[in-house]
Amino acid sequence: MTWDDGIRRFEFEIGDAGYPELLAESPDPPQQLYVIGDPKSLAPGFGVVGARKSTPYGLAAAEHFAGWAGRAGYIVVSGGAVGCDQAAHRAALAAQGRTVAVMAGGADVHYPRSAGALLRQVARHGAVVSEHPWGTQPQRWTFRTRNRIIAGLSSALLVLEAALGSGTFSTADYALAAGRDVLAVPGSIYAPECAGANRLIRQGATPITDADELRLALECVLGPPAVPPDTWEPAASQGDDPVLCAVRTNPQRPDDLSRALHLDVLTVLRRLGLLETEGRIVRFRDGRYGPR
Amino acid sequence: MAGQCSVRTSTIVGVEALPVDVEVDVGAGLPSFAIVGLPDLAVQEARERVRSALRFCGFELPNARIVVNLAPGPLRKHGTGFDLPIALAILGATRQLPDSVTRDVVAVGELSLDGRVRPVPGMLAHALSARTAGRTLLGPAVETAAVLVAGLDYRALTRLSGLRMGLPGPVKGDLAVRVENPCDTDFSEVVGQDVALRALVAAAAGGHNVLMIGPPGSGKTMLARRLPGILPPLDEQERLQTALVHSVAGVDDAAALAGFRPFRAPHHSASVAGLVGGGSPPRPGEASLAHNGVLFLDEMAQFGPAALQCLRQPIEDGVVTLVRAEGRMRFPALFALIGASNPCPCGFLGDPARECRCNVAQIDRYSARIGGPLMDRIDLVVQVQRPDASLLLEPGHGPGSEALRGAVLEARAQAAHRGLGNTGRLSGAGLLASCRMSSDACRFLEKAASTHHLSGRGITRMLRVSRTFADLDGVERVGTDQLSEALGYRARDGR
Repeated sequence: MTWDDGIRRFEFEIGDAGYPELLAESPDPPQQLYVIGDPKSLAPGFGVVGARKSTPYGLAAAEHFAGWAGRAGYIVVSGGAVGCDQAAHRAALAAQGRTVAVMAGGADVHYPRSAGALLRQVARHGAVVSEHPWGTQPQRWTFRTRNRIIAGLSSALLVLEAALGSGTFSTADYALAAGRDVLAVPGSIYAPECAGANRLIRQGATPITDADELRLALECVLGPPAVPPDTWEPAASQGDDPVLCAVRTNPQRPDDLSRALHLDVLTVLRRLGLLETEGRIVRFRDGRYGPR
Repeated sequence: MAGQCSVRTSTIVGVEALPVDVEVDVGAGLPSFAIVGLPDLAVQEARERVRSALRFCGFELPNARIVVNLAPGPLRKHGTGFDLPIALAILGATRQLPDSVTRDVVAVGELSLDGRVRPVPGMLAHALSARTAGRTLLGPAVETAAVLVAGLDYRALTRLSGLRMGLPGPVKGDLAVRVENPCDTDFSEVVGQDVALRALVAAAAGGHNVLMIGPPGSGKTMLARRLPGILPPLDEQERLQTALVHSVAGVDDAAALAGFRPFRAPHHSASVAGLVGGGSPPRPGEASLAHNGVLFLDEMAQFGPAALQCLRQPIEDGVVTLVRAEGRMRFPALFALIGASNPCPCGFLGDPARECRCNVAQIDRYSARIGGPLMDRIDLVVQVQRPDASLLLEPGHGPGSEALRGAVLEARAQAAHRGLGNTGRLSGAGLLASCRMSSDACRFLEKAASTHHLSGRGITRMLRVSRTFADLDGVERVGTDQLSEALGYRARDGR
């Protein structure tokens, strides 16, 4: 087995004393639950889900909010997938918080394989759970059914980047069906990767734009934070740089920026280079520049 | 009719023509016609062509034992250029031609059955070799090649029978080769691609390697095809070097001799031998045909990994070294590499109009196909996007190739003034010294290096590009402006 043996394994059947109560209340709870780590961390938690093919924006939001929640003492629940999920786990761990990863295969099967080290960390500071017996390989459809467990374990679910019809979007559906609070991070109206989160907001999800709002939302369902948050550093000022403003509103390429702002492309390129080095914007892998 | 005669010719090895003596002995014995001295099949077949050509031109092939020896013996002889010297040596040995015709010449040419003399690949190399030896070149009438080698006595022979009147007169005349510019497209037709355009101008000015990444139809190929139009003309020495490779490979060398830089765009199915050279006898590949010019690899990620990785050595050294049983061969291959690639298998990553259907692992695997070591040698990476349709309807607004070429020439002049050679090949202390950065610029570079986790190579690439940008801007020192601009063209963080 790929797990080191310092971490304990548990198996719960629905109705057992250790079976998480919140999950049992959700529609269609799993019959069996296989757990590696600390079963106490299966208490009501804060779900954070987002796209695998994330943009730096989604990753930054995952880091920001999961990090905050981890520091505040909430349990961050996510799916262990590449992209936003892993960013959320990492941020929670980095903030010395507890975190739970719900797997689509067996709880002892590292998927994706590259997540092995991270999942071991998660098990040590929380739990890795699954409804599938030990050693089960994930299948295409188990990712969607796994999402209902993420929703079931969470009192509140934060949706980061979700395209319409994506798996992330389905998690939100499960959360609504279970009567959980759905929160969403708004994104650019032009970005297809944010369409799902924006639609959720239109349908009544609580938009989360900063840590204070997250705190209000979580306090309603999970009680006040165990560790009261220290003072948060103020957000970087927008400034009056037209390039910075334009890029923050909507990720764009230098060519488009130069046309939209009526600026010479050289000026734009130089400005982008400076802003990027100052860490205020980032370059996406498709060549667009966007907010950090 | 017994006798002996020796005629000098040359054979191509790599891009050089090495002297070979064709010795003929006509003697008593059973009538035969043998060629010895490691001839290949084409040389063996010379017997039939020579026999027929001699007869057709009214000469006599003696009914005797004829032995042709090609010296030096250990060197493999390839090709059909031995027809003419063999015929000449037979005529000399049988006293059908005076000594004055066969002595002191280098004869190269293929014979047709009726005695006409045809050109063979590598005429330019033969001409250079003849000039080095201080001999007269006797060969076919070709329009361009050999005439251009200044200081060579070149005698063009159309038919073998022409030798009855002695050697033909030296070729004189117009040395200027008139060739249409092979690049008939102009950058003014490109709109809304300013970022990519700047990268290509920099590549033309500094000899940098460029990779353009973008969805299909975004104009990568269109941009690359216009690059030759802004390249400076080849200088005297480069002309000869480039034309020599073309000549040896049997490609038309007129454009190179006229000073146009080569632009080679091999298809992505190219084999290793096709790309860097090889085969038997070893022939120059596309990389060498692009010598002093541009090698454009469209759909770079689709090239075979073996072929792509073979490009690393020429990119680094400017020369392809092939090691074969018969020895080492060096083909010059100093080119600017322009690559174009889709961003992902479906091609639509980052396309605002169409959604990309690839998952993260597929995208990573696709971009890894080009390979880290090769990416390390690419200075400029530029994301190309399909421009807005509204811009396409009003063409002719961008700067034209003529204006851009002027900027390139000025930048090159400034770079040449430094005397450190091609900016795209600078590195180490020379590169740092050439940048002459202010303390502000140094601080910015340090900060950028730590923010973006630039490796040593990454910093080198950024400095080279900045140096060229400064040359294009007409400034002596590399400043924060150029450095920040160069940042936008780096591959990705951590490299």
